[in-house]
Amino acid sequence: MYMYLPIALTSVNYLVVMGLGLGVGLLSGLFGVGGGFLMTPLLMMIGIPPTIAAATDANQIVAASASGTISHWRLGNVDFKMGLYLLIGGFAGGAAGVQVIKILRASGGADFLIKMTYVVMLGLVGSFMFVESLNAMHKSKKAPAAAAPTAAPKQKKGGFFAALPMQTYFEKSGVTHSALVPLFLGTFVGVLAAIMGVGGGFLMVPVMIYMLRMPMHVVVGTSLFQILFTCIEVTYLQAYSNHTVDFMLALLLLIGSVFGAQIGTVLGRKLHGDQLKILLSIIVLAVTVKIVLELVMEPSILLSYAGGH
Amino acid sequence: MKRTLMNSPRYLAVAAFVLLGLAILPVPAAQALTCSVTPDNIPITFTYHGAQLSITGQSASTDDLVVTITSEPVDTALKYKEKVGGLVWMKKGSLEFKDAPRVYLLHSTADLSRILDAAELNKNLLGFDALRGHIRIEDSAGNPADGKWFDEYLKFKKQENVYDMQEGTVVRTHGEAGNTYKVDVAWPYQAPPGIYTVDVLAVRDGKVVDRASTHLEVKSTGMVAALSKMAFDQAGLYGIMAVVIALLAGLAVGAIFKKGGGSH
Repeated sequence: MYMYLPIALTSVNYLVVMGLGLGVGLLSGLFGVGGGFLMTPLLMMIGIPPTIAAATDANQIVAASASGTISHWRLGNVDFKMGLYLLIGGFAGGAAGVQVIKILRASGGADFLIKMTYVVMLGLVGSFMFVESLNAMHKSKKAPAAAAPTAAPKQKKGGFFAALPMQTYFEKSGVTHSALVPLFLGTFVGVLAAIMGVGGGFLMVPVMIYMLRMPMHVVVGTSLFQILFTCIEVTYLQAYSNHTVDFMLALLLLIGSVFGAQIGTVLGRKLHGDQLKILLSIIVLAVTVKIVLELVMEPSILLSYAGGH
Repeated sequence: MKRTLMNSPRYLAVAAFVLLGLAILPVPAAQALTCSVTPDNIPITFTYHGAQLSITGQSASTDDLVVTITSEPVDTALKYKEKVGGLVWMKKGSLEFKDAPRVYLLHSTADLSRILDAAELNKNLLGFDALRGHIRIEDSAGNPADGKWFDEYLKFKKQENVYDMQEGTVVRTHGEAGNTYKVDVAWPYQAPPGIYTVDVLAVRDGKVVDRASTHLEVKSTGMVAALSKMAFDQAGLYGIMAVVIALLAGLAVGAIFKKGGGSH
């Protein structure tokens, strides 16, 4: 039942760890989020030091997102072109974010500001998504029976986005954007993700739905494709420079998560785009509430190892 | 006649021999203190989940005993949380805990406060109160920090099971084998690999009168040792291995599910 982890230097119940992997993998396959936001604190709860929890989780997400990407790709749900632009933006944003955080940390008291901004943003995104998908579900109920499709809302003609140069058609998503738009949005999420120390799936998914106007199912597949590459980079860098990847822990997690991702994908196919959105918005709101509670309530122990979120 | 005999060189020699013998032979009341730990070597394998230690030895019948297991003192940096803006709890900075053992387990025959006075406890670093006086806590600017942080440190270490005090758990028996003592210690799996010191102190009339010690080695072996060595010595290769195996696992399971049906 127990396995000793060579880098974390602690012993864990492997059934519990595989169960965690299964649960978080399911969320990945369903919503296209990495789930680091949930996994890292859960690992810390079972005694894994924060820096090792975060780095090892990235390693696990490589497996879960590879598993999810391949099944979504088979369903025709991965927009590689869009994913690539977002990825390039994300890499640039990640590098910039690391610099930004250095400046912010030096100025002191910035942690407070960053956390509050993030909470407000998550709260707004979650609420907006919740209300929007609730309205859409009401509309589709009133509409004639067979009117199921909830593909992307029609892109507005004109406006700022349309005036930008380098307009290009994204076939899988069925949208036309300037290449600069996904590049810029990728950078934006990358900066925030680096500052918060998270993968950014919770922000990237709403950005793709509402700003890039992509259909929900394509959003999930494309997000996973993008997360896969981000996490490969993070895993390698953490292993190389910080020695914080516990391979055995990652192995236990990924045994659960690769299956979870498959189940999530299958489950996602049975659900409507709006149903997926409303579920995701509930999770985003729950995460927001959790962070607020963590911030407001006095922790039982005021000391901790460095690292983590 | 009698007088002659007592003055004879033969008598003197016998008397000297008897006196010498008395000096060499052990006196039961002052039995030498010994200490041994079984096992004295704990291998860490994948199935390791802590160990059960037995510390035994001989001691004088009336002495109280204090058994400690500690590591070399180290400086540990920990992040601390404080209330910011009167509303939210956040990590504010780090505190350095200087000269603090990673592991501190103490067992004794009776309550420490009953058998030793504070000065003697502090001198021998026995009990959490003695540690409070010994461990220096500094903020990142090198200023001494508030004493409340020792309480938090203790809470943190106790939660990890690496700091523990159990008074009255050392059992003495007086039998044919002499006066022996024994204590069973649950060794926490959270304690990192390393060499630990087991000390036994004999206490009489409020003073430490004797001391014996031995060592305990906790060491990674086999694949556990190989993996942790690779993670540090061949970090690049380790990183690539971690990524490739995760990728293969993800793709393989993706492929299996395809074969199992579920095409659209």
